[in-house]
Order: sequence, then structure tokens, then C-alpha cells
Amino acid sequence: MKSFVLFFSALMVASILSTTTPQNAEAEAFVFTAIPDQNESKLRERFGKVAAYLSKILGVEAKYIPVKSYSAAVTAFRNNQVQLAWFGGLSGVRARLLVDGSQAIAQGEEDPVFETYFIAHSSTGLKASDAFPMDIKGKTFTFGSKGSTSGRLMPEYHIRKQLNAAPDDAFAKVGFSGNHSKTIALVQSGAYQVGAVNFQVWLNEMKAGKIDASKVSVIWKTPAYPDYQWSIRGDVNKQFGEGFSDRVTKALLSMKDPGLLAAFPRKSFIPASNADYQPILDVAKQIKLID
Amino acid sequence: MLRVSGFFVALAFACLFAADISITTLDPWTEMQRMGLGVVTPDFTAVSDIGWVLVRTVAFAFCGVALGAVGGFLLSQLFHYGPVRWACAFVRAIHELFWALIFLQMFGLTPLTGVLAIALPYAGICAKVYAETLEEGDQRAVKILAPGTDILSAFLYARLPGVWVHIRNYTSYRFECGLRSSAVLGFVGLPTLGFYLETAFSEGNYSEAAALMILFYIMIASLRLWMRPKLIGLYAIVAPFFLGGGFSIEMSNIKRFFTIDIVPAPLRGEALDSMNTWSQFADWVWFISVDMAVPGIIATVLLTQIALVGTGVLALLMFPLISKKFFGPVGRSIGHGFLVVVRSTPEFILAYIFLQLWGPSMLPAIVALALHNGAIIGHLMGRFSDEVKLRPDHARGQNLYGFEMLPRIYGQFLAYLFYRWEVIMRETAILGILGIATLGFFIDSALSEIRIDRAMFLIVVTAALNIGIDILSRRIRRHLHLSDEARQLKNPA
Amino acid sequence: MTLRFKLTDEDFGYRGDIVLRDISIEINAGERIALVGQSGAGKSTLISILQARYAADTAFVPQDLGLVPTLSVFHNIYMGALQRNSVVRNLLNLVWPRPADIALIQPIAEQLGIGEKLFVKVGELSGGQQQRTAICRAIFHGGDACLGDEPVSANDQHQSRVIMDALTTSFDTVVLAMHDIDLALEYSTRIIGIKDQSIALDVAADQVTRTDLNTLYVK
Repeated sequence: MKSFVLFFSALMVASILSTTTPQNAEAEAFVFTAIPDQNESKLRERFGKVAAYLSKILGVEAKYIPVKSYSAAVTAFRNNQVQLAWFGGLSGVRARLLVDGSQAIAQGEEDPVFETYFIAHSSTGLKASDAFPMDIKGKTFTFGSKGSTSGRLMPEYHIRKQLNAAPDDAFAKVGFSGNHSKTIALVQSGAYQVGAVNFQVWLNEMKAGKIDASKVSVIWKTPAYPDYQWSIRGDVNKQFGEGFSDRVTKALLSMKDPGLLAAFPRKSFIPASNADYQPILDVAKQIKLID
Repeated sequence: MLRVSGFFVALAFACLFAADISITTLDPWTEMQRMGLGVVTPDFTAVSDIGWVLVRTVAFAFCGVALGAVGGFLLSQLFHYGPVRWACAFVRAIHELFWALIFLQMFGLTPLTGVLAIALPYAGICAKVYAETLEEGDQRAVKILAPGTDILSAFLYARLPGVWVHIRNYTSYRFECGLRSSAVLGFVGLPTLGFYLETAFSEGNYSEAAALMILFYIMIASLRLWMRPKLIGLYAIVAPFFLGGGFSIEMSNIKRFFTIDIVPAPLRGEALDSMNTWSQFADWVWFISVDMAVPGIIATVLLTQIALVGTGVLALLMFPLISKKFFGPVGRSIGHGFLVVVRSTPEFILAYIFLQLWGPSMLPAIVALALHNGAIIGHLMGRFSDEVKLRPDHARGQNLYGFEMLPRIYGQFLAYLFYRWEVIMRETAILGILGIATLGFFIDSALSEIRIDRAMFLIVVTAALNIGIDILSRRIRRHLHLSDEARQLKNPA
Repeated sequence: MTLRFKLTDEDFGYRGDIVLRDISIEINAGERIALVGQSGAGKSTLISILQARYAADTAFVPQDLGLVPTLSVFHNIYMGALQRNSVVRNLLNLVWPRPADIALIQPIAEQLGIGEKLFVKVGELSGGQQQRTAICRAIFHGGDACLGDEPVSANDQHQSRVIMDALTTSFDTVVLAMHDIDLALEYSTRIIGIKDQSIALDVAADQVTRTDLNTLYVK
């Protein structure tokens, strides 16, 4: 009987402790996250550098927290568990709709004219063209993450417009690879015949020699649209002192270290505003990803 | 029994025609070779702090199961109240991963999210099993207690001691399940094994993935060595401090979850006395039902039925591997090793691996579910077959299998299988998160669009489906007079 | 003389089968009653009826003993007094038996020859020892009266006498169903014989012989 009482009281202690242990260890740090659009190791490397840079400039401990999905990034921003985030166009629009007073503060020089590449496996015989490749109809197709701008929103928009059908109806099979690196891998392996990928990731992997041009190639480039940006919560000034938001903006815009910029990869950061992303919001509403 | 089995097999074949089971990767062999290479060259240094990852995985399991067991125990005392029973059936019909996704909305990436995601469904399961165990226990000692004995003393002296061993065994079995749940929670971002496993797999670092899996197997296989009753007190005090840090929890987020997030969009802030609001709400329900719930249910049921029969076939094939009647000690230890590995790997992780290999279709899910569950049932049947008494001049080989063994253990086999049916369905739904179009896929989509109301609607549909299968399975078991035999499953240890 | 147990013109049965018919019985304080008769005659039923009616102030030894095999002898005996003590004391005793309660229980257990087994689990004892544990529990329950259903069935002659001595000295009034006629004649003041669902015999023990009782066992 002793064993019961001991066992039970031990479990009781564990339950009480596990629900009450102080969990606000990170409360004082300035925490940021990013949408997991690429391999995690790459993100850790990139944002580890950013965290060190921001800590130095801002004089506050800045910390990067990796998340497993686009929506987790948005939710963390919404719940004030991160105050700053590197969002894509769509996730940024979503996040700012959910958090009053939040602002897009900086974007890469390339981001106002971002593109999505449609890529195809060589066995499809599809060739690069300037016009939308109508022949992709009936093929198997993979997007990136469900919440991605370049991997989901924009390609779906163009598919609906050109093929006049929802992706599920236009293709033999539709998948969501999860991130851009995986989209490339899946199309290259032939798991999917066609895919839509963030052009920056494509160019970067090409440069890194990870793409076998005999197996996968670009068949179409979308018209330009605004994409990635840094967004910050409206209440950071309350938490970290007056003018904090401006200081973060300045820190991001004055990021000049080529190593840092190359990790994104962006040439430099330029100012951004919520209004810059109105086209994204319009498209998202049009294809009913946002009410 | 044969008629019912025949019906289920025929149904599975019909489902197979409707299901998409193609291998879409053109070259799965290269990837499989790389994976195989990873398995033989595990890299234990790849994950920094690999020890802490394991400690955290155990800590989440321990805290979650502890909270679930205590909660379940208290609830088992109220289990005769209908609403308590229904509430328990509801919380256990929802998979830990879905609970994690729900709590992520409220608490974010905090330890509490992971602990509650395990604790809540486990409380529902434990409440049921504890209540049934107590009910089946010896009541004779209760009768000699003098009137006026307080209920607590009466319970602790006259009722609990008789069933205590069963409760303890069941709870430690739950702990093993908790370890698997804890590992899988990493896939949605909690800092347990699954987090690093997902990263390793998705980046193709198979040596790292192999190292993580090997450590996980060692952890489960050695459970009996370190999960000693005497040490539980120590673990209980220490575990909560090893959950890792997290973000702070804000009450406003919790309030928002209940007052805004889960309120169906058409009702949010609208006049509830207006007909227009309700007709919009009806449209909303109709849209989600037709566009997501129905296709999700169809895919979930298809996959479940195929996986159920697959599980049965594999179990029948695998149980001789560990049966004394069929294999000698060497063969049996190989068989045991194989079954331990397959049944210790959560279905979710198996499915994830096969998905990487064969591309997205129902095939990876079917194979994962059938392997994992087949190994569990095969293990139980193998042990059961050892106890079957055969005449000295019994047949050998195939004849032993077909004429002596199978007829004797078939009832037990069906009991196990039907008992597992609901578990398979719950897992099937969750595999949607990996991209197979079961209910989980639509729930994941809704969450990725931050449409919590939709996700909750679909989660409730999923729970209802599970409860329905549970009731159906119980009916069939009763119809076939299998219910008593299935009881033994509750205490597999 | 004060009346201790009383039943008037009552029928008893399980699920429509009448086991006892038209029973009237009056037992005074100080009497030692032996219920005798063939197995299945209704002795157990009569005992359990009396127990149900007089549970509040009567100790009881059921035929199945009602022990908890996974608890120690001490705890099983202590269960006779759960109603007397506070929840807290009961709970503490469960985990750390209090010396004061051990001091109360030890002599009772010794009287019945299980003093050394006080902290052995009941499930590990012999049938006779288990039965004596149940007797100890009844004695620890206390009060002036005890009902018992075959309380010596699992013990040899010597131990049976120890039990009968203990019961008759601890309780003013005892009502025991018994199958051992000699023991019944030796220890009781009054014999009640049951046959064919009713009371066939009700006499003072010194007015009856062993052969008189044989009629009860003839079909």
C-alpha cells in the first residue's frame, strides 16, 4: 500500500510542478522568428547571425526561435511570444491582420519584385516559355508550404486564372512539399512532375550546385509581386522602451555586413510599409485564403 | 467469425480500388540506399545536446502521463456520471497531436502545451480503464465494512489494494505510450525527439536520424531498468524542471482562444438574433462539411479499413516469429528484435519515413499503420500462442499453423484487431498532417490559414467519427462474443 | 433479559427462489447460538439477513472472509474499526501503522496465533490463518454481538477451539452458523436447526444430543 501512496503522491507532485513551474524565462529577451521556408540548419545559421547583430546594436538580448510551420510563426507573433518576424508576403499580411498596430518595417531590395518559378522534371518534356505553360494541366503538381506566398498563394492565383480551375481539378495530384528546398528535391526526384518554388531559393541552390539541370528546369516565371518583409508588433515600445520599434527598423536597414546579407540572400534591406502588401491581401482574398 | 472477417477483407479490397496507392517517386531506390547507409552509419554527434533531447522527451512523457494518470484516477471515481463518461470519450477521441495544435493556439510553444497535449487524452483513457478495473475488482471486502466508514478509507482499504497491481501495470504501459507521444509532439515544434528527427529527415541527414531512432529504441527497451517504482518520486520532482524553457503564457491569448478564435466566423461579433447571421452560419457549416469534412471522412475511412486488414494480415504473418511453437530461440530473438523495433516506432514517424521514400499517396500510411499495429498484435498473439496446449503428436509447419494454431487463437486475434480499430482510425486522421488527404490534412490546412474555428469544427467531426467506430467495434465484439477476451489487452504488461 | 436479534414471520430468497420461509426468531443478549443444518439449508441466508439488519452494531465474519489479500494482517484487522476513526488516522495507518494501533491489535492477533504474521500480506497466509485474521477483525470491530458464517471451517480442532474461545469471551452474544456438531454443542447455549427452508429445531444446547441433531441431515 505504501507503494500506492508514494507512487500517487509522486505523480501528484509531478503534475502540480509541471503546470506551475515558472515558464517565463524568455520574457525579457527580444525574441524573433522566421517562417521555415528552407532547411532548418540554414535558417539557424542565418538567424543566429541576425540575433547576434541585433543584440549588439539594440543592447537587448535578441533571440531567434525556430518554428516548424508558417502558421506557428504567425501564431507566435500573434501571441506576443515573438515581437519580430521575418515573414513572407502572405504570412505577414495574416499576422498583421491579427495584431493591431503591427508594422512591416523592412524588406529585401529584391522583395518588392519577387518571383515564383514553375519548375518541371525533364521527363515531362516541358520547356521554358514566356507564356503560362498551359500543358501543366493534368500533371502532378507540388506547392511549397500551405502558407507560403511564393510557394502557394501566387502560383495558385496564376493557375486559377490561366487554367480556370482550382488546383485540385487542374492537376492529377496536388501536394504541399513543406518548404522550397523540398519542392526542388521532389520535382528533381520525379515525385512530382511540376512544382512552384521561390526564385531566390532556386537561384541559391543552383549556385550551391545542388540542382541537376538535366533533371529539373525552370519552365515559367510569374510576374513580380511583393514578398518577404520584417514585421514588428505595435506594442514593442511599451515593452522595450520608447522608440524601440524605430531602432529595430534602423538596425535592419543599416545591415551592411555582406556575410549577413548573403545568408538571406538579399543585397540590402530597404524600408517597407503595410501598404506595400495590399496586392498580396487582394490576391489572398480573391482565392479565399483570407476572409 | 469467418463471415465478419470475409466482409472486412472484401471491404478493404473495395477501398483499395478507391484509394490512391501509387509510388510517385521515380527513383525511391537511391533514397532508400542513402537511408540504409544512414542506418549502418549512425552519427551520435550530429545533434548537439543529444542527451538533453532525450531527457526532455522523457520529461514531457513523464509530466504528461503523471498529470493524465492523476486526473484519470480522480475522474474514474466519477465515471458513473454520464457527462463524465462522455467527456472522457470525447477527449480521448482526439489525438495528442491535435491537442497540441489546439494548445499551441492558447499557450504557444510552452512546456504546458506539450504536457497538456499528452495529459488530456491520457486522462480520458486512464479514467475509463481505471473505472473498469475497479468495477471488475473484488468487492467482498467492502461488504464487511461497518456502516459509517468514510468513503475514502473504504476505498483505500477495501477496493483499491485488490486492483492496485493492475492499475500500476497499466500506468507504466501508458508511460511507454507517453514516450512515443512525446517524441511525436516534436513534429509540431515542441523541443522533443521528433523536432530533431523531422529536421534530420527533411534535410536528408540519415546518419543523424538513425542515431536519434537508435537512442529512442534503447530508451524504450531499457524502460524497465530505469522506470523503477522507487525512483518515480525522484523523477516526479525533477522532471518538470527538464521540460526546457519556453515563452511566457498570457491570459489574454487564452481568453481570445475561447471568446474569438473558436467561435465560427459567421457568428463572430454578429447579432445572434438575426436570421441572416444564422443563414450565414448554415452556409459555413455546409461549406466545411461538403468541401472538407466529407472528403476527409471518406479518405479516413478508406485508409482505416485498408490499414485494419493490413494490420490483421501482418499480425498473422508475424506472430509465429516470436512463438515457441514455430521457432527456436535464435529465430525468436530475431523475431522479437524486429517486432520491438517496429512497434516502438510511432506510426507517425514510420509514415513520415515511407512518405519520404515513396512520395505522397496512401501507400506509406497503409504500410506504416499495418506494420506498427501488426507488430503490436503479433506480439500479443505470439505470447498467447505459447500458452496454447497442443497434443504431443501435433502437426508441424504450415499444417501446425493452419490446422492447430489458427483455429485456436482466431477469436483472440479478432478481439485484438477490433480493439485496435479505433486506435488505427485516430492515427489515420493524424497522418493527414503529413499530406495524405484524411481529416488531419484539412485540419492542418485550416490551422495554417489561422482559421481555428474551422479546425475545431473538423476536430469535433474527427472525434465523433472515432467515437462512432469505438461503439461499432464494441457491438461487433459483443456480437462475436469477443468482449471478454479483448479485456486482456488492457494490461499488456 | 434484553432482546438482541429479532425476526418475525419473514420470507427470504434470491431472485424469486424462496430460501427461507416464515421465519420468526428472537435472540436475547448473552445467548450463544449455533445454527446447524445441511449445506444449502439456509444457514448462510439467515446469518446474512441478520447481518444486513443489525450491521450497525454487530461484528461479522462472512463465509468468504471479506479479506483484502494484498494488505497485511494488521491492516485487515484494522479494517474492523475504520468507522470509529478519522479519515486522517485511517490514511496514516495505511502508510505508517501507528504504534498505538499496533499495540491494540497485537494482543488480539496473538490470541489467535497469528501475532508473528502481523505485517505479512494476507494473500500469503494459509486458509486457516486467513480465517483467523477475519476473526481478529471482528474482535477488533468490537461491540457486544458477533455474527459468523462457518468461522472455523478452515481450521483444525485445536485452532477451532481457540477461535471459539476467543469469540465467546470477546462477545456477549454470538450467532454462528456451524457444521461441526460437537463444537456447536460444546460452545453454544442454544441450537437452532434449519431444514426444508424453515426452522426445524430450536432448543437449549443442554437439552439435545448429537443423535437428535442427526434428523436435520436426513432427507
